[in-house]
Amino acid sequence: MVRALLYLRLQSLRNFVLHRIRRLREPKYLIGTAAAAAYLYFAVLRRSLAGVKAVASAPVAAGVGAAVVCTALGALGLVIVAYRWIFPPQKAGLRFSEAEIAFLFPAPVTRRALIHYHLLSAQAAILFTSVLTSLFLNRMTVAGGNRLLGAAGWWVILSVFELVLLGTNLLLARLRESSPRFLLWRAAAVAAILAYAAAVAWSAGRFLSTGGHFLGEPGIDLVAQFGASSPFRWLALPFRVVFGPSLASSPRDFAVALVPALAVIALLYAWVSRSQAHFEEGTIALAERRAALRAAAQRGELPQVRRSKPKPSTGPFRLEPKGPPEIAFLWKNLLSMQGSLVSRRLVVIAIGIGIGLSLSIGPVLSWKARASGFDVYGPMIVVFCGMTAAYTLILGPQIARQDLRTDLANADLLKTYPMEGWRLVLGELLAPTVVLTGVLWCAILGAALAVDAGGRLGWLTPGTRVALALSLALAAPVLCVIQLIVPNAILLLLPGWQPAGRSRGGGIEQFGQRLIFAVVQLLIALLVVVPAAAFAALVVFCAQWLVGIGTASLLAAAVVVPLLSGIAAVGLWFLGHRFERFDLSLEVR
Amino acid sequence: MIEVEALTKRYGSFTAVQDLSFTVRPGEVLGLVGPNGAGKTSTLRCLAGIIPMTSGTVRVAGRDLASDPVAAKRELAFFPDEPRLFDYLTVRQHLAFVARIYGVADHEALGRGLLEELELLEKADVLPGELSRGMKQKLVIACGLLHSPRVMFFDEPLTGLDPLGIRRMKDSIMRRAREGAAVVLSSHLLHLLEEVCTHVLILKKGRKVSGGTLAEVAAQFSNGEPSVSLEEIFIRATGGSEN
Repeated sequence: MVRALLYLRLQSLRNFVLHRIRRLREPKYLIGTAAAAAYLYFAVLRRSLAGVKAVASAPVAAGVGAAVVCTALGALGLVIVAYRWIFPPQKAGLRFSEAEIAFLFPAPVTRRALIHYHLLSAQAAILFTSVLTSLFLNRMTVAGGNRLLGAAGWWVILSVFELVLLGTNLLLARLRESSPRFLLWRAAAVAAILAYAAAVAWSAGRFLSTGGHFLGEPGIDLVAQFGASSPFRWLALPFRVVFGPSLASSPRDFAVALVPALAVIALLYAWVSRSQAHFEEGTIALAERRAALRAAAQRGELPQVRRSKPKPSTGPFRLEPKGPPEIAFLWKNLLSMQGSLVSRRLVVIAIGIGIGLSLSIGPVLSWKARASGFDVYGPMIVVFCGMTAAYTLILGPQIARQDLRTDLANADLLKTYPMEGWRLVLGELLAPTVVLTGVLWCAILGAALAVDAGGRLGWLTPGTRVALALSLALAAPVLCVIQLIVPNAILLLLPGWQPAGRSRGGGIEQFGQRLIFAVVQLLIALLVVVPAAAFAALVVFCAQWLVGIGTASLLAAAVVVPLLSGIAAVGLWFLGHRFERFDLSLEVR
Repeated sequence: MIEVEALTKRYGSFTAVQDLSFTVRPGEVLGLVGPNGAGKTSTLRCLAGIIPMTSGTVRVAGRDLASDPVAAKRELAFFPDEPRLFDYLTVRQHLAFVARIYGVADHEALGRGLLEELELLEKADVLPGELSRGMKQKLVIACGLLHSPRVMFFDEPLTGLDPLGIRRMKDSIMRRAREGAAVVLSSHLLHLLEEVCTHVLILKKGRKVSGGTLAEVAAQFSNGEPSVSLEEIFIRATGGSEN
């Protein structure tokens, strides 16, 4: 049976790889792969290679880094296990695809064989993750910077994690099914974990109170001493065994550390594979949830883990039957955002906090600046607001996707509506425009209140401050529309490249494609914003002598905003025309 | 009501529909029949203005679909084989949205009537995710009928419906036709066409093989035999294969 399962897994993997290689004949995948490969080389691998030399020159520091990472991982593992005992799943579920369930569950296969199959499947992901992790974190890998041994060390850690979590789930399911003292068992387990955590904390306190010699010493000595101190070294023994191969400083040490680690894996494997828990129902539910998440991701929605069904919402405002139809799209897409992102209560709270902070921050900063004679927080807030605005303009359109990108699956329906293409596109862009503009306005308001809170700039009168903020606020919605036109234009011009709504998406090619889109988005932002800002600055510079900076900035906005609106209008007209001629069935052939 | 002249649709070098001409008058129900890949769905999508035709003319309620698409689309409704709904709009909100798009002033009363007729009133405030496939199909129909279209296109209208749903769908189509709508539907279910359609258009590889009333088409392929079934006619007309 295991041979059949192995055959299925290996053949699937082989066909997957071949499919990915063959589709490189299509330019969109080839270019995407090339972009991703270039990024990975320059951003990761090259640094990784440089990292080996750094490790060789500073092995102790690398060892400390590895110890810190391992401690953090160990603590995380303990927290996850404690969480499982406190909030146990209703049913234990193994990770199987819907196809695997359809073929394997009715087949004459024992439950133990299914667990074997699951563990076998998990190994592929663990091996891949181990290699990637050793590449990304090779500074943490000691053993002479040997990547192979580093990957093996990570394989041990991840395998133990997988087995412990799976075993815990199955044990909890078994206890829930068979033991009347389920609650008692859970209480005992949580108490044991808490006692262990308390012992670790006590040992750390004891070390700090009795050590005394760490002050003024390099931090690396402190970590090493604490690791070797008693009773911590005994408390950490199970973790030291698991993390031993990763913490080894030479291939020989690695080999020595690997033996007990493998013994732990063997014990955990025996424990898990002998489980008698019923996992079928939980597995089916898990597979359905994963399929739904995948489908949501393909529709372009955020891959959030939604355990409960979405609830109906009353809508952002009352939609009257008469009026511009574009507003219907704004209403619909805002409603979708409410349902798919966060609850309305959270949005109201966030906006309330934002407005409250914005209104209160100005007077507070003024007082602080006057009191101290130096404005400390103002520049920080201005920089923060500026960065928020920049990120909103560049990355915002990639996040706020409630436009054509999420509605493309309904293109047939949309095209039957009695609307000109440009009006439909405008309607689709309104909701993300409203959201992004709201964020930009908050950033502008924050910056306007925080800049020069001490009032040292004589020319920045309250009137000028308001005029500058108003000028920027007027330009914000138009800039958002232009930025949102870019990804929607990519969608309509190169629909086969668009990851949303395509089952062929995914993998390194899509990563590369997204990189290319992000660069295009950045370039368009620069091409639009920089000339517009330069032109506005020129208008302000020329007019300020006559009417003052405040009025000059409003004048600049009066000139630049119509120009930007013209660009946006041309973009909308082009997109509308393209949408009217758009034929998805033809585009994806 | 629906006038089609020399309709042609090409996908690159592949011709899905070639030189198709026909007319559907008020009260008539035209059934599009043909083997897989015959061009039925492409034809329907061109007629509904979903995809642009390569050449030819389509007039819906007297409006040219190419030169005046907005006016033409006001008069039609398209019902796809797979119900496409917005995930986060309730049944009632779907109707409100469609009402705004088509400018239906009294949509609340109309919508209520439609929901009652389609037995969806109890589900008015739930999201599509909580509806069965049949109910979703009903919601699509309610949305399509809200603006009282004079022309209706159904693509495989019975897909996924239970026997009761099939009966209701057939009754609904026939009732709308009796009330003066021009209906075009495509289906592989020949017994449905025999029951519902007044006219049939048989397509093969994008071309019209035969068309007319059921009696006319039967006469063309019966070879003098009495009471030949539509299934037999279909097989004879298409040569019993897709190619």
